[in-house]
Amino acid sequence: MAELDQVDPFAHATVAVQDVHVRYRVPSTDAAERRRHTNPISRAARAVLGNDPKVLVRALSGISFVARSGEQIGLVGQNGSGKSTLLRIIAGLENPAKGKVLAESTPVLIGVNAALVPDLSGEENIRLGCLAMGLSPEQAEAAIPEVKELAGLGKSIFLPMKTYSSGMGARLRFAIATAANPHILLIDEALATGDAAFRERSEARMQGLRDGAGTVFLVSHAAQTIEETCTRAIWLNHGRLVLDGPAEDVALRYRKWAWAVAKDKPDEARTIIERAFAEREQTYVHVEEPKAPRQYNARHVRPQSAARRQDKGKS
Amino acid sequence: MLAMSNPVPAQHPTSSATSADVADLYTEIFRQQATSLEVVSTGRLKQVGARPPIRQYIGQLWSRRHFLWAEARAKVTSGTRETVLGQAWMIINPILNGLAYYLIFGLILDTSRGIDNFLGYLVIGVFLFQFTTQCVTGGAKSIQSGRNLIRAFTFPRASLPISVVLRGLLNLAPTIAAMLLLIVLLPEDETWTTAALLFPLVLALQTLLATGITLFFARLTTVLPDLSQLISVGMRLWLYASAVFFSIDRFEQYPWITGLMEANPMYMVLDAARDCLLYATVPDVATWVGLASWSVGALVVGFLFFWQGEESYGRA
Repeated sequence: MAELDQVDPFAHATVAVQDVHVRYRVPSTDAAERRRHTNPISRAARAVLGNDPKVLVRALSGISFVARSGEQIGLVGQNGSGKSTLLRIIAGLENPAKGKVLAESTPVLIGVNAALVPDLSGEENIRLGCLAMGLSPEQAEAAIPEVKELAGLGKSIFLPMKTYSSGMGARLRFAIATAANPHILLIDEALATGDAAFRERSEARMQGLRDGAGTVFLVSHAAQTIEETCTRAIWLNHGRLVLDGPAEDVALRYRKWAWAVAKDKPDEARTIIERAFAEREQTYVHVEEPKAPRQYNARHVRPQSAARRQDKGKS
Repeated sequence: MLAMSNPVPAQHPTSSATSADVADLYTEIFRQQATSLEVVSTGRLKQVGARPPIRQYIGQLWSRRHFLWAEARAKVTSGTRETVLGQAWMIINPILNGLAYYLIFGLILDTSRGIDNFLGYLVIGVFLFQFTTQCVTGGAKSIQSGRNLIRAFTFPRASLPISVVLRGLLNLAPTIAAMLLLIVLLPEDETWTTAALLFPLVLALQTLLATGITLFFARLTTVLPDLSQLISVGMRLWLYASAVFFSIDRFEQYPWITGLMEANPMYMVLDAARDCLLYATVPDVATWVGLASWSVGALVVGFLFFWQGEESYGRA
């Protein structure tokens, strides 16, 4: 309950994730999976068509939390733990199998695949990205110099985006995404590729967004980044929420766990994760429909048609 | 048996559950972990990724019209960007195509197949049909090829297939210029009358038709990706069924074939365009009514069908 003191009483919820489940049906080349379906006809059909049997992957199960304004939330977890999936769900680019996500405004996601339209120059990509986010042509024109400056690509901004290195692409994407001043920004490991100078500029930009009552989500494998820049952290493991709390605490436990896994101490790792599970506070999100105030119209301001109808009824 | 293992507690119909009872029940159910309940109101927070109602969707599309236009314009030039002549190819290409037809059908084969001004007939058929082909094949791939944009930004997804149609229109403009040029220059006679002024209307109806079909197939290929392999075959069949290379009079002895062909919207488009441009006749009312109902019908059906799948395109 210590973190209660840190909670800003004026912070309001910006994102609510309510019991989200995500499942995928994907082809698997696992030989065991091939044998499991013993129906000879379907097996023969698969062999002829060259298809692999489909398996069900539970990418996320039962994720619930509420994010508030001014928070920078780090998502930690090993590869394939569902961090990026969670971001895509929050951004509304995919819909969960169960549960729902509510947000104050449209979240903007900065993904790993940075190139937007590879044949176009960086400059044209800025314009296109701004228009796609719903800016008017004048606003887009006005935002371009600022975006160029934040990206800091120099003359490369005039080259086709397919010639960019992954770091350059990520910088441009970050700059474009923040051009519209999104209240909710979701960053998927994009900044890991930037150099030190860019990192400083981007951190200043994110701080600015949070000061303007925004919320930033950041995915990173590096617990240190989370510790340094985030106020809160969420640890995911195999699509399940392990721990949700202050960044230092979560990051420390995650590092201990990762260390135990790396040193091949599965028992220790399991103890850490089980303790985290047991100590975690389960969040239930209840979505309330606001009750519309009862419509009351004074007699003298009733629409004329209603009055006429009533008069007809009387006569 | 059920009742024995789970004895029903005595009921107190007069007193409702007190808050203490509820709290006990709560801890009983969630004994494992500490829990916290967060209450959020849908008054301020809105569900993300939810499909908006149709009117709002059209409004969103309208507000992204600049994006649509920019996307279409950017993609039009990207095809010729690496060539030496660049955008000039957009007009050179159709002219060369038309001259190739003139060379083969006009000079070498010297055929008319019983059609007045066969070259004009052919050029109109090929160029206009090409527009529909471009829209439908491009639209079927639009969700797949726009994946980067879909994963990066939230916008009404119908923008992508519609921008394919816009791109087709941008390609069509120089094509039409080349087409008119060829009709005038090629050594066959045609008469220009005010009927030619109806040609833009034919084009507008064709565009509506193409938009509807494009939207329809854009969603269908996300549901069944195999379809993209079949579309080129389907378009080829449709090309032959639209009397692009030959006259419908060939099938005079089979009324059911001519009936089918005359009900085909692309045949109506080509027929009406040729009437306007080559034969100085105003297309008859049946053609207008048929074409208009096909176009509007295709647009409404295609748009509604695409809109219904709005939530599914992120996974493509």
